[in-house]
This record gives sequence, structure tokens and C-alpha cells, in this order.
Amino acid sequence: MTSPLIFYLLALVVPVFVGKTGSAPFWLAVQALALGAHSLAHSEALSLHALVSLFEVVVLRATLAPLLLRRAIASRGEPEADLLPSNLFTWGIATALIVLAFQFGAPALSDRQSLALGAVGATVAVALLLLSTNEAPAAQLVAVLFMENAIALFESLLAEPWPLPVHGALGAIYLLTAFVGSSLIGDPDSAGLDIDASAEGEAP
Amino acid sequence: MIAARVVSPGEPPLATVRALWVGPALVIVALEAALWWAGVFALTPLADLPIYYLQRYFVLDATSLLFLLVINSVFLGISVYMSSMMVTSAVQARYVKSRSALTLAFMVAMNLGVMANNLLMLWAFIELTTLCMAPLVAQGDALRPRRVAWHYLLYSSMSLSITFLGIMCLTRSAHLQGLEINFALDEMARTMLASGDGWQRLGLALMFFGLGSKLGLAPLYSWMPETYEAAPTSTSALLAAIQFNISVVAVFRILQVFRGQDTRFVSYELLIMGCLSLTVAAVQVMAARNYKRLIAYACVSSSGVIAIGLSVGPAAAYGVLLYIVSNAFVKALLFLTAGRLRAVYRTNDVKALSGVIRVLPFSGLLFAVGTFALLGFPPFGGFMAEMLILSGIVQSGKLTVFTLMCTMLTIIFVATGRSIFPMIWGHSDRTGRQVTESWVATLPKIGFVAALVLLGVYTPGRLGALLAQVAQSIAGK
Repeated sequence: MTSPLIFYLLALVVPVFVGKTGSAPFWLAVQALALGAHSLAHSEALSLHALVSLFEVVVLRATLAPLLLRRAIASRGEPEADLLPSNLFTWGIATALIVLAFQFGAPALSDRQSLALGAVGATVAVALLLLSTNEAPAAQLVAVLFMENAIALFESLLAEPWPLPVHGALGAIYLLTAFVGSSLIGDPDSAGLDIDASAEGEAP
Repeated sequence: MIAARVVSPGEPPLATVRALWVGPALVIVALEAALWWAGVFALTPLADLPIYYLQRYFVLDATSLLFLLVINSVFLGISVYMSSMMVTSAVQARYVKSRSALTLAFMVAMNLGVMANNLLMLWAFIELTTLCMAPLVAQGDALRPRRVAWHYLLYSSMSLSITFLGIMCLTRSAHLQGLEINFALDEMARTMLASGDGWQRLGLALMFFGLGSKLGLAPLYSWMPETYEAAPTSTSALLAAIQFNISVVAVFRILQVFRGQDTRFVSYELLIMGCLSLTVAAVQVMAARNYKRLIAYACVSSSGVIAIGLSVGPAAAYGVLLYIVSNAFVKALLFLTAGRLRAVYRTNDVKALSGVIRVLPFSGLLFAVGTFALLGFPPFGGFMAEMLILSGIVQSGKLTVFTLMCTMLTIIFVATGRSIFPMIWGHSDRTGRQVTESWVATLPKIGFVAALVLLGVYTPGRLGALLAQVAQSIAGK
């Protein structure tokens, strides 16, 4: 039951320390698949909820969102940029945050839950670190999607899974974030255009 | 400043790109929604609330009813304005379908979010409203509109992540006590520790910090002036007068869940954020020479007043509610009027608009009225609300806060007046006739002024009872 979580953590840590922006969609897809495997392991029977979760993870999180992100990164032309700035200072902070995140979950919960809460905390902390150290919009979008994956993982900590409407809303938000974010950062910023200010026939 | 785009001779004629039915359709939908909720308000006895829907995922209680009435009334006015702009603006006509679809999606998310009876669903709906608004912000007239829209989205995601961290801390607190947390808002209080441990306090503090930044409270406020200035004015109105309220509802829901507990630390947090926001707004208003930015900083100061009022507790709760409701109408009035000014002058610089009342008598007058309402003059609702909040602060014995708030509001008043009054009544270099103003575009603004006066001089008994019920629900120990 812990192996999907370990894969998830690997897909979080590897791109942060050694990954480039261009490889982030791949790691996001790996994170999503690990999430799917974890949620399947978490559910006792193959219920409707489990099937919907699996569909959401495989289609939205592991396929569509990474594709959108990949397209945006390609159109920006910066796939070789570091996700986290490569220096000892940021690496040190990232390591400390991950360790602290696991300390956060340790005393309160069972081993499995403690690992899951640690993974959630580590993801949120790393995402916030990415946001505060990298000004590149593509890296920032990756950080936002990391955080949304953390929210999905958070579900496994609860005794009862989230109701389907909540699950559906979070899945839709993930895809919409990827879509809106990709379209905002992917297209070059054109000259401003205030559609309310272009009234006709009102020459000063 | 980038000049607005004009239709070039090679482009298709306007008649082919306009979808003239969309504007009226938007107004009809908005009118139906406003009438529906007005009908529900008129016909549902307040004692029968709350009413639950869809397996208790949604609730109609005093809080949701009040905000549904406010947001749908304001949206009716904004939709009339948008519809009138679709007729006169070539570019509006081109984007009409996507804009209308996004606006409607935004309003659906707003309505459902206000009614959500689950903290996680409410959280999701706040994010959804942001995702609907971001593409609309990107159509604004900033130098880099997409960049501004991206910043808006990013700030929102960050704020909501901080809120989510708070939810995690609450979960951990419950686990430590051997409790299983339930995020249904009506059940949540029962699954939380009544005495509250450190994790619960940290969770609450993070949630208020995250939601506070969605409200434009300092220190995470910078997205607000940037976005409100850069977005098209109808979008700024949607953000300031409508979307703002879903974050207010989230704050109220949390206060309602934890009202029986000792939340003094939350009061201190709100107080600090409120005072900081007022100070920041006062300094920035003094420096602002751009009327849209000025309104945006006034929104930061309004958030500060709300936070201070909430920190005071029961003594100011009614005043805070009246202030929030009044502010929705004031912000809509000011942004929509600013849109009209921008459409004619094509600049946001206050100097260029000197003597605007001679060129645009109606809009100039409405902008002046809106500014007075914003500054808390009688007979508008804001005056009564500010008096109630200040009285609550005095009653709670926080005289330093009272002094600070009065000082900052005076600075904001003087600084706003110094910029806005010459803009309205100053010497105008423009020659020629007055610009004709469409009565359709003016009508919603007159409606907003009427609502503001009504809130200031006479609150109907039923509305007063609703406000009192909500005030009672958010008033803590």
C-alpha cells in the first residue's frame, strides 16, 4: 500500500532537484498515476467512486493536463530551464521542508496515514518553495498543479472518501487550472485591448 | 497606455460578428435569477431556514439568502451594462459569446458556492470562480494583460493553498484527539475539539490568512489593485462587487463553525490584517493618479474595515454586514461608471479627465455620488455601517484601533478628494458638445444609488431581520 506513495514522492522530489521544466509534464503524469494506484489500494472494493476516481486520475490528471502543460512549455520555448533554481541554498531549504513535512504527520497517525500526510505536506511545501523561488510562469504553473495533486492525495487521509460532487469539482478544477494556466502563459502577451473601452462614436 | 483596438477596414462588418441576442439573453437570465431569489426571500419565513438541498451539499440559510440576494441584484445591473456595451463596442461584440458564457459560468459557481454546505466544496467553488474570471481579466487594457491574469490566478491559487494548509491542520488536530473530521459545515463544529489545541488554532489562523488574501487584505493584497486596474471595467465590477462576496461567505462559514469557541487569536489576526490594509491603502491612495487604481485601493481599505469590524465581534457584526452589502453596490457603481469614463476618454489618468461633469454630466455625477458613498457620507448605507463599526470598536474598548481607523479613513478621504474632485469639477480643456449617454447603461447605476440610499435611510423590516440573523450567526464569544 505504501509503494504508490513512494512513487508519488519520487515523482515529486526528482523533478524538483534535478528536473527541467520540459520534463515536468511527465513527472506530473507519474504523480497522477501513483495517486490513482494509491486511491485504488485505499478503496476496499471496486465501487463507483473508485472507478470515477480512476477515470479522473488517468484521463484528466495523467493525460490531458500534462499534454496542455507540455504545449504551453513548448510554445514558451523554455523547456531547459530549471524547475527549482540549482543552488545549495534552495536545495537545503527544499530538503528541510520535506523532512519537516514528514515530522508534521508522524506522531498523530498510523504509519500509512503518517506517510500520506507527510507526502501531502511535502508537496504543498515544495510547491510554495517553487512559487517563491522561480519567476518563470511555466514553473509556477507546475507548482500550482503540484498543490492540486496534494489536495487529491489528502483525500486518502479521511476515513470516508470525498463525496462524488466534491471529487468531480476538484478534478474539474485541476483540468481547468491546467487549461486556463496554459492558455495564459502559452500565448505571447499581445498589446492590451480593453473591450469595455472601445465604444464607438464617442471621439473625445 | 495602449490605445484601444479599432476595427480595421479589412475586417468583417460588425453586423456579421455581433450576436445581438446574447446581451438581452444575459440580462434575461440575470433578471430571472434576481427575481427568483427576491421571490424566495419574500415567500420563505426566516424561521424555516436553514433548508437543505441535494443530500445536504447545499443549504439555504440566512447567510446564503442574504448573499444570493446581493450578488444577483448586482449582477442584474452589471449584465445590463454589459449588454449595452455589446451594442456600442466593436470588440465587445467580437468576444460577446465567450464573455457571456464565462460570466454565466462564473455566476453559476458563485450561486452554488454561496449555498455550499461543505467546506471543501466551498473552497472548490472559490477556485472555480477565479478560473472563470482569469480569461476575462486577460482581455483588459494593461500592457501585459495575460501576465496580470496569470498573477491573479497564481495569487488566488496560493491563497487557497494556504487555506488548504489550514484545513490540513484542522484534520491533524482532529486526528490527534481521535476524532474524525466532517467537512459538512452544519456538522463540522460537532467533529471538532471544543477547547481547541495548537493545531486547530494554527489551522484557523492559516485559513483566515488565506481567505484574507482573497479579500485583498495586507500583506497579500497586491493582486487586487493590479487586477482591478488591468481588467475590463465590467470584469473589475464582477470581481469587486460579486466575487469578493464568496470569500466573505467562506470567512462567515468558518466563524459560524467556531463561534462557540475561544477565537481571540483569530480576532487579533483579523485586527492586524485590517489595520495593515487600511494603512497600506491610505499610503497608496495618496500616491494614486489613476482613478481605477484609486477605486482598487479603496477596495483594499474596505476589506480592512471589514476585517477590523469582524475582529470586534458581536458589537460590530451588524455594521459589518451592512458595510459589505453597501460596498457591493458602491463598487459596482464606481467600476461601471469608470468604464463609461474610460470608453470616452480612453485613459485612466485623473488629470486627463478634468471637468468630466461638463462632458459626461450623468457619469460625472454618478462617479461623484459613488465616491461620496465610498467615503462613507450620509445618506448612504456605508455611513450608517461605518458608524456602527466605529461604535462597536469603542464599545469593545479598542480605542487605539478606533483612532487608527479614523485617522486612516480621514487620510483616504482627503487623498481621494484631492484626486477625484478636480477630476469631476475641475477645469476642462475639452471643447464641443456633451457626449450623449445611453439611458440603458445609466439605469443600473441609478438602481445602485437607490439601493445605497435605501440602505442608509431605511432598511425594510424583513431585510433588517435577515441582516440581524446573519450578524447573530457570525458573532462569536
